[in-house]
Amino acid sequence: MRKEDRERAVVEVVSRVVEELRQGAASKGGASIEDVLADTLFTERQRLEKAPKDRASREERGFYREVRHRLLKASTTEQVELLRRATDRFAREIVGRFDPRVYAFTTRVVPVGAGLMLNAISPLSLLSQLPDLPNLRQRVLISGATDTLMSLAKRGTVLLTPTHLSNMDSIILGYSLYLLGLPPFTYGAGLNLFTNPLLSFFMHNLGAYKVDRRKKADLYKRVLKEYATVSMEYGYHNLFFPGGTRSRSGEVESRLKLGLLGCGLRAYINNLRRRAQRPDVFIVPCTLSYGLVLEAKTLIDDHLQEAGKSRYIIEDDEFSRPRQILQFTRELISLDARIVMHVSEPLDVFGNHVLPDGTSVDARGRPLQVSRYVLTDQGPDFEEQRDGEYTREAGLAVVRRLHRDATFMSTHLLAFAVFGLLRSHTMDRDLFRFLRTADELGGVSLDDVHPALERLLEALRQRIREGRLSDGAIPFARDPQAVVAEGLRYFGTYHEPPALERRGDRLFCGDAKLLYYYRNRLSGLDLEPVIDQRLKESA
Amino acid sequence: MKALDKPVGVLGGGAFGTTLAQLAARAGHRSMLWLRDPKAKALIAEGRENSRYLPGHRLEDAVELTTDLAEVADRCLLILLAIPSREFRAVSRNLGDSVRGDHVLISATKGLEQDSYLRMTEILRQETCSLKIGAISGPNLALEIMRGVPAATVVASRYDEVVRLAIAALRTPAFRVYASRDVLGVELGGAVKNVIAIAGGITRGLGYGDNTLSLLISRGLSEMTRLGARMGADPRTFSGLSGVGDLVVTAFSNLSRNHRVGLGLAKGRPIEEILDELGQVAEGVPTAGVVKDWAEETGLDLPICRGVHAILHDKASPREVLGELMALHARWEADNRRID
Repeated sequence: MRKEDRERAVVEVVSRVVEELRQGAASKGGASIEDVLADTLFTERQRLEKAPKDRASREERGFYREVRHRLLKASTTEQVELLRRATDRFAREIVGRFDPRVYAFTTRVVPVGAGLMLNAISPLSLLSQLPDLPNLRQRVLISGATDTLMSLAKRGTVLLTPTHLSNMDSIILGYSLYLLGLPPFTYGAGLNLFTNPLLSFFMHNLGAYKVDRRKKADLYKRVLKEYATVSMEYGYHNLFFPGGTRSRSGEVESRLKLGLLGCGLRAYINNLRRRAQRPDVFIVPCTLSYGLVLEAKTLIDDHLQEAGKSRYIIEDDEFSRPRQILQFTRELISLDARIVMHVSEPLDVFGNHVLPDGTSVDARGRPLQVSRYVLTDQGPDFEEQRDGEYTREAGLAVVRRLHRDATFMSTHLLAFAVFGLLRSHTMDRDLFRFLRTADELGGVSLDDVHPALERLLEALRQRIREGRLSDGAIPFARDPQAVVAEGLRYFGTYHEPPALERRGDRLFCGDAKLLYYYRNRLSGLDLEPVIDQRLKESA
Repeated sequence: MKALDKPVGVLGGGAFGTTLAQLAARAGHRSMLWLRDPKAKALIAEGRENSRYLPGHRLEDAVELTTDLAEVADRCLLILLAIPSREFRAVSRNLGDSVRGDHVLISATKGLEQDSYLRMTEILRQETCSLKIGAISGPNLALEIMRGVPAATVVASRYDEVVRLAIAALRTPAFRVYASRDVLGVELGGAVKNVIAIAGGITRGLGYGDNTLSLLISRGLSEMTRLGARMGADPRTFSGLSGVGDLVVTAFSNLSRNHRVGLGLAKGRPIEEILDELGQVAEGVPTAGVVKDWAEETGLDLPICRGVHAILHDKASPREVLGELMALHARWEADNRRID
């Protein structure tokens, strides 16, 4: 956010959050101001108990001690004042400029080893080790509705909602938006990303603001959402990962976190209420696809341990090791690897299709006057229950777009075919037992892999013809032989042991969990019977 | 509610559409009843009664008649659709030309689209821009409601506004309106009970007693509930007005079209002849085919629905089918597990 807007945004956010909580406290069944402050005190104290005893946390402890002390005998007016101070504190922290050098001393989010590297390797010196950075331009293939995206960015505020596989996504998105000639997108990034030397360098292309997921207070979450809303009202294009976190399984997201999507609707209604010149907020889903994923091993382990829910923030994965990022990036470049960013057709905040000129249309292509959706007896206004449903509808539409517009690389196709064949060779349907023993199964013959891939490619082409997948779903898959050759080349490059390797005319599984991770990109398309003919017969 | 400053729109001049328009008028609102056929409109306008479906029941003065769909969309914010399922899509598509985002659309049609197997609210979602959509269903024999005897219905929507508006529009001293969020359950109950009702008519036609009918209703309800739960509905919905409530009235009542289809089948009459004589739509006939396919897809065992389908479409003998049902393997009642 531009400097001149920052202070204005803080004042607006604080005023709205405090006012909303005051109204809530006055309504039947709403939380009192005292309850809100008590929740903030409790959750912040819990967090601070685990925080290092440094100057910043001492100052925070002092603040909350004072709030607790004053709350004991505070009048209603004084309670509101305390609430305003706590809200202002959160808002300034989120909006404020972030200095990673200061941060490195004040928290222990980054493991000690990585912290040392942070000092030892500056982003620029790290980047200078990458051969020919502009090459990235050739690596990133941007496809889909890019013209529409650029057109809408001029007509209203864009809310970009990409799939999330890797922390590399932020770099790729930032770079892609730059390539498209778009201004930086506002983006709520986890604190750990700010401390990463490579990533923080790229953060400049994404107008990133800080999200501290360790802060659990309801007040903090309200401030975050209100900041996103206000920034959209100010015309800042936003980006958020609707899955909430990196896909642990490798699948395309099916369940979304709707909170920030709802901010788009709130911003739109506020724009209508104040008769803004360009009130529209456009949701633009997009998919990112990689032949190899840097953190694949950690992510699939996390998924299989069913720790995904509790371990929302992974801080010790491949992305916290700069040397590994370097190795990964070098190898990607040596592979002549491509990363695909596919921009989906846009939606309005109600889930309707939007034309390049910003007009919403219904399923039959008839133009709509979308402001009618939020019309009440008092003009355009909020209705919490209704708006929650609208956002749910929009979320479903985003999921449909993401699933339609996923791109499948050779590693996904090869992993899907080999995984399916290996499973068809065993009668044991227990996935976990299969993953433990897959490397002992003796592999699969290329004589089986090639026809299986042929069937898979044909099934995908059929789905493309039917419009169930986008035209660019399999951009690099010419024929089964090419898929096998490229898939093996990728698998043999970065992961150790490789997910798959060739010995003679057979393919052997080196890491079944990785194979599972890459094949999952195609799950949910009902393609299993295409590989495992027994499933087809039973169907 | 300002929406009710405007008339309540009702599409469909059949028995239930006319009844809904009358109910809204009795609840103190103006209503607009849309009929496709200008002759039918003229006939009703002349005698102020729907002599074809509801003879002897004079329409309230507040019921206005029209054949102009765009006018209904223009003048009404709440629109109820009581259109036979086979025409539902076409009417919805035409309505979609005029509908706006602030309209509230409620389907009063109990049935499924034959080729797509879609529910009526799904069709409304496809054919209009409306999001505030709901469904109304229950034990609502039109003639009884017109007579003003106490009755109730349930309106289901994910939107509170839809439910509140429907209650305000239709509630009278003789008609209660309950609310539900389970649109899927309410619509499935309304559709699938028609198949069980045909079976009810068959048992009556064969001269079996109340024990048999009660057995059929109980086990039919079990089939509806299991199918609904498998498809994502709330099983509790089937214990309500749109489930067992509608099933009982449809299976017992001679006023039910589906029940009358069953009576005819029991006498050995061909289905085409029965439907011809009925002159109205019996939704249970096409729905039986849909339910049979769903049962096969989901692997559920629904013997009553399967039997009705066999009688309707494979010309199976009603007596033999009922004999087969009685000879089925023993099962636990609560969860339908087979006893080995």
